[in-house]
Amino acid sequence: MKYVVKLKNVKKSFGKTQALRSVSFDVYEGEIFGLIGPNGAGKTTTLRIISTLVKHDGGYVNVLGYELPKYKNYVRGRIAYLPEDAGLYGRLTGWENLLYFAMIYSKRGREAIEMAKLGAEISGLSHSDLHRKASEYSKGMTRRVAVARALMTKAPLVILDEPTTGLDVFSSYGIRMIIKKYAKELGITVILSSHNILEIQYLCDRVALIDKGRIIAVGTPREILEKANASNLEEAFIKLVGGPHE
Amino acid sequence: MSKLYPIIWKELRDMIRDVRTLVLIASLPLIVMPLMSISSIYMQQLQVSTVLIVDEDHSYAYIPFLGNISTKDIIMNISYLLRINGFQSKIIEKGVITAHKEYEYDLLVIIPKGFINNLTSFTLKAYVVIKKVVGSPRADIAESIINYVLGDFSRKVSRAKVKYLATLAKIKITPESVLEPLGIITTIVKPTGTPASPGEEFKIRLARLMAFSLIFVTTPSIAYINDSIVGEKERKTIEALLATPIPRYSLILGKVFTASIVGLIAGLSDALSLILFFVIPSILYGFNILSYLTPNLIAIHVVAVYLSIFTSLAIITPIIIRSGSYRASHVASLTVVSLASIVFFMALYVDIDKLILVARYALYAIPYTHAVLMIKNAVLGTITDVLIHALIITIISLALLLLAIKLFSDERIIYSKT
Repeated sequence: MKYVVKLKNVKKSFGKTQALRSVSFDVYEGEIFGLIGPNGAGKTTTLRIISTLVKHDGGYVNVLGYELPKYKNYVRGRIAYLPEDAGLYGRLTGWENLLYFAMIYSKRGREAIEMAKLGAEISGLSHSDLHRKASEYSKGMTRRVAVARALMTKAPLVILDEPTTGLDVFSSYGIRMIIKKYAKELGITVILSSHNILEIQYLCDRVALIDKGRIIAVGTPREILEKANASNLEEAFIKLVGGPHE
Repeated sequence: MSKLYPIIWKELRDMIRDVRTLVLIASLPLIVMPLMSISSIYMQQLQVSTVLIVDEDHSYAYIPFLGNISTKDIIMNISYLLRINGFQSKIIEKGVITAHKEYEYDLLVIIPKGFINNLTSFTLKAYVVIKKVVGSPRADIAESIINYVLGDFSRKVSRAKVKYLATLAKIKITPESVLEPLGIITTIVKPTGTPASPGEEFKIRLARLMAFSLIFVTTPSIAYINDSIVGEKERKTIEALLATPIPRYSLILGKVFTASIVGLIAGLSDALSLILFFVIPSILYGFNILSYLTPNLIAIHVVAVYLSIFTSLAIITPIIIRSGSYRASHVASLTVVSLASIVFFMALYVDIDKLILVARYALYAIPYTHAVLMIKNAVLGTITDVLIHALIITIISLALLLLAIKLFSDERIIYSKT
């Protein structure tokens, strides 16, 4: 199976704090890969390294066949990244927010408009909502446009950091539906992080459990359940990290 | 599609939607400059300023070759000139003054007893006593009016005395050659040595004022670039943008270019406000100052304004992208504005190109100096020098932007505290 992302013993420190001690996993083409872990486990740092924004201190990172950070400029044109709690440009409309990123990813104007149209479709927002200023949007609408902005690029790799954090049940469900439907439809590989284990179980083909900067387990949800002898991923996670910690 | 285009497209939209800020930026110089003009000229005339004149002598005399003179005539002349210059003048008896110590005045003029006697004497000197209230600009003006009247009167008396003495001595004289045997002839010339008209002297003063007006234009665009870079971080939009294929030079140049458009709006407003600044005295005094503001001069002023703003942005961008925090970039902005203020304020009083070599080259290192020199050379008509200084300020600014691009660090921007 062809890998899209390969991480081998990746380390990263911020001053005296070791954010990543040893992170290794592969993400294969066409799958939705989940990264689960508590707050401060190293999920965001891992995704930022894959997104070319942060340089790792040690280990090996390869994204779409390019080693990082050496070939980060090649990788940037081939990935789309949605950071945790990412905002939209409040004075622009939802449509303009989509068009802005479409222009960045496109070579021609016509191509940008087609990409933004796809984004509008993915967001599921009505025409009138898309032409309102983003500052007037609810949190759920903002996140729909932000997720659509990443998926519409049809980048071979889309990275979503906690895409449903802070959303109500309906909005979270809506976002999950969008990811599930369009990732498969557009043939995109997705890496997403979450501390919502049910969400990961529902969306992901394979998952990695991360705690204190280390990968605890990698595999399909079924493989992890079997490995931990647990009935759900939550129980598996607690068993594998050795019980809840402060 | 050029990656610079989407940045400029988005920043321009963002800017146009913030109408309130744009209106404030455009209206700031339009309000400040005319207010400065009104406050410095018109408001002075609205001041109630009183000059009290006390005649303790009440006498008169006949001076050959001049005729009858009296303290009353002198006081009338002083009062007339004071009144037409907007002063209240009151002639008061000495007794009244001592009885009303609380009586307010800006200037008190006393013609002491024996004044006419001393004035007509060949051995004594006459004095007028002036008491001026400390710190009153109007008292200074009143004093200069009184000096003018008394000086003129003094010259007439001395001329008459000299003529009288010459008659007694039976010699032929020209009173001016006795009274002022030494004269000074001053000709105003340009730096090239060719004669300059009094109008050109005024134009140099105009250049100083125009350079000083640049002090108001740097602030809005600096606030804009702060918001454009640090604000994106605060609104959590920058991280997603940094992971896109947008090159860092496109990101920085796009933002700086758009912020400089804000500066251009401020620059045009500044040029218009400068015209208004001169319209007011033109209307009040009927002196056509506006004729000195030629289209060429206004155009060069606008370019100097734009380049001052561009260089401010170029200075502050490397600092913003390294600091990341709003507070640090705000302090940096204040530093830049203060630095700009020094050069623009100095332009009011100092001839930069006449400074000693070390001081001059130290100032040349500050880009704002070249904006000041652009305006000065535009007024003097030395267009080559205007272009040279425009080129220098542009090169310094581009070098600073190059430095900003080199210093740009995604990690620093993401992890710096806001």
